[in-house]
Amino acid sequence: MKYKIVTNNPLIKPNSENLYFVKGSYEDVLIKVRDLVYEGIELISHPLGASMRMLYSPYRSIIVGEKCNKIDPYHIEIIENSILNYRNTLESRKVDWVNKDDYALIDKELLKSTFSDLEVNYNNLI
Amino acid sequence: MKLELRRIHIKDIQLGDKTEVKGGVLTVNEEELISKLKEDERVKEVKIDIARPGEKVRIIPVKDVIEPRVKIEGAGNGFPGVTTKMAQLGEGKVNVLHGAAVVTVGDIVGFQEGVIDMWGEGAKWTPFSKTYNLVVDIVPVEGLDPHAHEATVRAVGLKAAELIGEAGRDVEPDEVLTYEIGSNAEETAKYPDLPKVLYVEMLISQGLLHDGYIYGVNSQNILPTLMHPNEELDGAVISGNCVAACDKITTYQHQNNSVILDLYAQHGKTINFMGVILTPELTTLEGKFRTCDYTAKLCKMIGADGVIISEEGYGNPDSDLLMICKRLEDAGIKTVLITDECSGWDGMSQPLADTAKEAVAVVSGGNVSHVVTLPPADKVIGNAKAIETLAGGWDGSLEEDGTIKCELNAVIGSTSEIGYHNLTAKLY
Repeated sequence: MKYKIVTNNPLIKPNSENLYFVKGSYEDVLIKVRDLVYEGIELISHPLGASMRMLYSPYRSIIVGEKCNKIDPYHIEIIENSILNYRNTLESRKVDWVNKDDYALIDKELLKSTFSDLEVNYNNLI
Repeated sequence: MKLELRRIHIKDIQLGDKTEVKGGVLTVNEEELISKLKEDERVKEVKIDIARPGEKVRIIPVKDVIEPRVKIEGAGNGFPGVTTKMAQLGEGKVNVLHGAAVVTVGDIVGFQEGVIDMWGEGAKWTPFSKTYNLVVDIVPVEGLDPHAHEATVRAVGLKAAELIGEAGRDVEPDEVLTYEIGSNAEETAKYPDLPKVLYVEMLISQGLLHDGYIYGVNSQNILPTLMHPNEELDGAVISGNCVAACDKITTYQHQNNSVILDLYAQHGKTINFMGVILTPELTTLEGKFRTCDYTAKLCKMIGADGVIISEEGYGNPDSDLLMICKRLEDAGIKTVLITDECSGWDGMSQPLADTAKEAVAVVSGGNVSHVVTLPPADKVIGNAKAIETLAGGWDGSLEEDGTIKCELNAVIGSTSEIGYHNLTAKLY
C-alpha cells in the first residue's frame, strides 16, 4: 500500500500501517502533513476542501504517499499556503463543533471518493 | 446549433386547481404535483410552499434552484440523462417560465447553509429574491444513506421543474431569444479576423454534496470535455453541490450562465465564441495536473486566442484555476479568471488559497467573508434550526431579537463566480 491517511477523524478505522492518526485539530493535521512533506513524503490529495464551510470542520483527512528522493517544492508551497489560509480564515470564526458528526461523515465520504479516483479499494482502509 | 429560449414573463405564483399559466400568473395544483413527485419510491413526504419577492420569508437550507421550462420543439424535454431519456440538447425551442424558480430545500447534513431572504437586506445579496419561488421540501423514506438522500432531493427538484414547466407549453412567449453558433470551421470562415475565445467552466467534482453532473454523468469521472454553449443553456449541466452556498453554481445559473450569454452577445462582433470546456475540480494533485494539462491542450488544439475561466467553490479549486491559467498564459493564450475572494471581514487578506504571477486579469465576484445583518423573518420555509448553523460562527452573531450576523458565504448565489448575481466589480 503506497498511500497513508493523515487524519483526526474518529470515523476512520485505526490501522497503524496506513494511518497517521493525529490527536488534535484540523490545523494539527495540516502541520503533520507539512512535517511529512518536508521529510520527502509525497502529497497526494489537496489539504483543503472545496468550500468555506468545510474549513469550519473539526475533522480533516489528507492522503500522503511514499517517501521520495527529493522534496517537491510544489508540495511545500501547497501545504504552507493551506496552513496560512486555514489560520487566516479561522482567525475570526470558530470550529463548528455542533455539527461535528456530520463533518466526520462528509470528510469520510470525500475521502472514499478520493480513493475511488486513485482506484484504491478503501474497504479495509477506512 | 440553434436554440430559441422563449420567455414567458411570470408575474405571480399561486396554488390552485389546475397547473397553468394565465396572464403571467403561474398556478400550481399542489396535490397533483405532490402525488407525481411521490412516484419516486425514495420520497416519503413532499411539502410545497411559495415565496414571493418582498415577503418577509426566509428559505433555508437551499440545495438547488432550477428554472421551470418545457421543450416544445427539438429533442430532450426535461433533463436528459437524469429525469428523461438521453437526447442531444442544444437545438430547438424551449418555453421558459421566466421569473419563476423551483427551490429545493435539502437538509442532508446539519451544517448546510444556503439562505434566500425574499425581503430587506438579505434580498439585496441573492438573485433568487427576485424570482417567484416554488419551494419543494421532501422527507425521504427511512434508511436512505446520505448519497441516496442527496440524489433524491436532486431528482425531485428537477422533476418538479419539468412538471411545472409543462404549464408553459401552449403559452405565447413575451420575448424570444435566439442562440445560434455553427461549427468552428463555419464560424471561423464567417469571422476570420476575430479572436477565437473559449470558455472554461470549472465544476466542483469531489464527492458527496460536492458534485456536478453533465447529462447525468458525475463530472468526477470525466476528462475535461468540450460542449456547445447551447447544450448548457438547454439543461445539460446540473448542480449536485450544496455546501458552498455563495459560490455554488445552481442548476438555474447553469441554465442562464451569464458568461455564456455575455460571450454570445459579443460573438461575431468582437470575438469568435468557440465553445465551452467543462473541467472537473478533483481532490488529488495528480488529478488536478491531469485535468489542467488536458484543459490547456484542448484550448491549444482548438486554436483559442483567449480563454475565460470561471471557478466553482473556494480552497483547493483555487489551485486548479491558477494551474490552468499558468499553462494557457505560457502557451501565449490570453486568460481571464473569474473567481470570488475570501479576504476577511475587512477585505484585506489574501483573497485566494493560491497565487500565480500569470494571473494578470482576474474578475472578482465579491468577498465571501463580507458580514451582513439579516433581520428575523415572519416565516421560515425549510428548517428553522439551520439558522443556528448560519449564525453560529462566532460570539454575538445571533442577537436577542433574532437578528443574525453572517458572512455572505451563507447566502445562495451571493458571490457567483459565473457572474449570475447582484454584485459588480469596480476598478479603483
